[in-house]
Amino acid sequence: MIEASGLRKTYGDFAAVVDSDFAVDDGEVFGIVGPNGAGKTTTLKILAGLVEPTDGEVTVAGFDASDPEMRRHLGFLPEESPLYEEMTALSYLRFFADLYDVPREVADERIEAALDRLELDHRERRLGDVSKGMKRKVAIARSLVNDPDVLVYDEPASGLDPVTTNSVLAFTRELRETGKTVVFSAHNLYHVESVCDRVVVMNEGRIVARGSVDGIRERHGETTYRVFTDVEPTATPGLDELDATTEEVGDRFRTTVPSMDAVAAVREAAGDAGGEVVDIRSREPSLEDVFLDIVGRPMPGRYTGDPGGDGTDAESDADGDGDGDESETETARPAATEATE
Amino acid sequence: MIDGFRRVGRRLAVGVRRVLRVAKWESARASGGVDRRTLAAGVALLLVAGGVVGVGVATGVAGLDVDQDVYRVGVDAESPYAEAIEDAPSLRPVPAGSASLGDSADAVVVTVVRPGSGDDGSIDAADVDEVVVRASDTQKGEAAAASVREAVASHNERLMRAEPNQTAAFPVVVTLRYVGRTTGVDDGATLGGSNGGSDGGSTDGSDAGTGGGDDGSDGGDGTSGGEGGDSTGDAGSVGSGADSDDDGGFAVPSIGGAAFGANTVGSPGSITPPFPFTSLLLAFAFLVPMNFLIQAYGSSILDERTNRRGEPLLVTPLSPAEIVAGKTLPYAAAAAVVTSLIALLVGGGALSVVAVAPVAATFLGATFVGAMFARSFKELTFVTVGVSVLLTTYAFVPAIFTNVTPVALVSPLTLVVFDLQGEAVSAGEVLFSTAPMAVGAALLFGLGLGVYREEDMFSQKPVTRKFLDALAVRLSAVPVGGAVGGGLLDRDRLRALGSVAFLTACTIPFVFVAELLAVAVLFALPVTVSIPVLLVTIAFIEEVAKSVGLYAGFERGVFERTDRVALAVGLASGTGFFLAEKATAVVQAVGLTDLFLGRAAFADVAGLSGLPPLALAALFFAPLVLHATATSVAALGARRGRTAYALALTLATLGHAAYNVGVVSLG
Repeated sequence: MIEASGLRKTYGDFAAVVDSDFAVDDGEVFGIVGPNGAGKTTTLKILAGLVEPTDGEVTVAGFDASDPEMRRHLGFLPEESPLYEEMTALSYLRFFADLYDVPREVADERIEAALDRLELDHRERRLGDVSKGMKRKVAIARSLVNDPDVLVYDEPASGLDPVTTNSVLAFTRELRETGKTVVFSAHNLYHVESVCDRVVVMNEGRIVARGSVDGIRERHGETTYRVFTDVEPTATPGLDELDATTEEVGDRFRTTVPSMDAVAAVREAAGDAGGEVVDIRSREPSLEDVFLDIVGRPMPGRYTGDPGGDGTDAESDADGDGDGDESETETARPAATEATE
Repeated sequence: MIDGFRRVGRRLAVGVRRVLRVAKWESARASGGVDRRTLAAGVALLLVAGGVVGVGVATGVAGLDVDQDVYRVGVDAESPYAEAIEDAPSLRPVPAGSASLGDSADAVVVTVVRPGSGDDGSIDAADVDEVVVRASDTQKGEAAAASVREAVASHNERLMRAEPNQTAAFPVVVTLRYVGRTTGVDDGATLGGSNGGSDGGSTDGSDAGTGGGDDGSDGGDGTSGGEGGDSTGDAGSVGSGADSDDDGGFAVPSIGGAAFGANTVGSPGSITPPFPFTSLLLAFAFLVPMNFLIQAYGSSILDERTNRRGEPLLVTPLSPAEIVAGKTLPYAAAAAVVTSLIALLVGGGALSVVAVAPVAATFLGATFVGAMFARSFKELTFVTVGVSVLLTTYAFVPAIFTNVTPVALVSPLTLVVFDLQGEAVSAGEVLFSTAPMAVGAALLFGLGLGVYREEDMFSQKPVTRKFLDALAVRLSAVPVGGAVGGGLLDRDRLRALGSVAFLTACTIPFVFVAELLAVAVLFALPVTVSIPVLLVTIAFIEEVAKSVGLYAGFERGVFERTDRVALAVGLASGTGFFLAEKATAVVQAVGLTDLFLGRAAFADVAGLSGLPPLALAALFFAPLVLHATATSVAALGARRGRTAYALALTLATLGHAAYNVGVVSLG
């Protein structure tokens, strides 16, 4: 449904998008994630025909992205959705349906269906008087008035309250079920994980990883083990080689190691020190860890805006030791990872 | 073929339908965006403005006397002056017998009759021995005396016109014809005035002949003619004995002048050049609504850019041109309706509407560009005020000289004045007057449309950078590879250079308007001052017009910064300008180049009759060489950066000015 090859967009000396290639299948929900300034929005605008790429080619629904006819098959939701506040939701949506030559009866049917599903009341109220979440829903409904094949949503749930965010994400999932192809950007990985089949991770204009969320997690995250002992394990050459780190946590010592073999080495070292292992926990990599591994810095907004509070690291605080703080620490950026499909 | 037409027709119909949809929505949105209080305040303001204009118009048209009965004048009821005093709106007659100067009267008319006359109770002109007007020794007294003088003069005039034998009333007829100075360089005014006064100087009657049945009421010949008569010989008894000036009195003049408008009948001393005050005032009424309109329009355009509100429109199948046309249509329609209504109210015709249309379009076009460039509503306010002042000045000031000089035709409002005066204008004059603004308006919309895209609409760049962006977006890179010669015919290269030439050609209406404005501003100065200033100004205007697009191309990275590319685009730009300049031959049709300044500004080479064809051809193409060379110099500077461009532009301007001096000298 969408093919992008060799995409490049520069503004003077600044490269917003660099050599991006990707393809999106029919009926797929495709995510583009990355920090602010990664090139997500520029990429989406190139897909929507709003921005002309400096280099590269894009086809959407069989049309070149610059072809006005393509826009008939496209629904676009920009990152911000300021509407014409003098108009009511109904008149606003009818106006856009008019611009797409949608007959009034058909348009009303679609508008009603979308507004019903999005649980949008106050259809006759001026848009200037409704909440941000309501405006977002109207904007989403607007993207559907022409019954497009492709939907390009830029941060659809950004800045919304958890209830509205859940509603928007659920609606996006339903779009997949109706056969729509959705390209979805977010800097909140949990939004992407809950909706997208595949994702690309962008950083500084480049695609640095791609694949399914699980696949990326597998490639870029490692399971770690935390071994709690009642004494500090004796430093041994074997333990040093295992890249183990030991911290004092309350009246215990926590040693983090990357494998079960290393757990055995810690157990041995603790025994040498006259103590024993009192607890062992495994820790799956969070998306934050994955992102940190890929781009070398934590995701912005990790602790905000995620539905149901799942933006926090579920494991990190399970032991109550506050190691969720670790992702707030800026680290040196490693070389961009060339991920494979 | 037919299918092709059908396809075009269908596409056109679709385009019109889309434009109308946006227009309908824009109308609803605009009307819905104003609350009742604001609307009421707006209507109140309009009413006040209308009232002010109405009073002014009433004063001019209906002669509404705002100075009714200002001065009290003592005069006997039997006095031959009584009627003159009674007829003057500003004077209130009081019985001379009971009048006390400075108390119950500001002036007193004392009529001394010959001994033995007036025994029957009435005094006629023959009985008057002497007339003296005494006024109180105050400013008001002096003003009252002056009003009495005017009242008597007007009364005399009426009496003379009422004479059945006009030849006896006006034994000498002077035909006045106001003509602009067309030749010669002296220290006098650049334009206007008379040719040594022999064609009707206000005090000279060298074209005078004896009256031969003229009734003295001819309306004049065309724009400025008129007939005058000298009635000082025997204007009746009222004035005849007024030369005495004893005991503080003063002489009563024979005739007075009106406050405005040309005096077509009267003594030479009282005849003034025609000034179309009433028509001007009425013409100005056409401009007033534009100022309100552009506020609403500019806000609407900027509103699309605020917080990216208009972004969703850009992903609809509508083109930017359709969106802009739809958004502009309601305001253009409002301008058309208001203009037609005003024309109806002030007695204008279709010509007035046709003349105001390009003015309205330019108001909207300039506001559109301003709203596309402005970063905030605060900036927009400056833009709309600037647009309003500039265009009002451009439209109104030249129109003041409607009856004096053809330069006035630079403003379409002059056509309105002509229309209101009931004077005919030629198609050429209409074209000359309206075309630059109409084309200019179209180009302004084109300029704004260049940045009506996501990448430019929502960015917060300074106005100057946006302007350069808007120019650069119309250009394309000039390929530099390939062999010289064969490479010139490269299609991409030709297309790129063609776009340069076209962009420069599009500046011609603005150049034309700017140059006309320069002529209009400078024409009142002595020729020895105005001509050199004008020649340099015009050179500067043209060099900027030819090179600013090139500078934008280099600055925005469209053109490669090499001398080769600079020379190529410089030549292309100069050629485009030359070709477009030749299209301004309409100036010739109107005769503006007959004016000395007009020739300096617009004529390439004058007085060339008798030259061999080769020399003529050389002179014809001389401007091409000039433009290509000067623009290449500017382009070479532009490719090196801002400072180098400024220096190169100065150099090009000086060279161009030197050329202009040469042309004028040839003429």
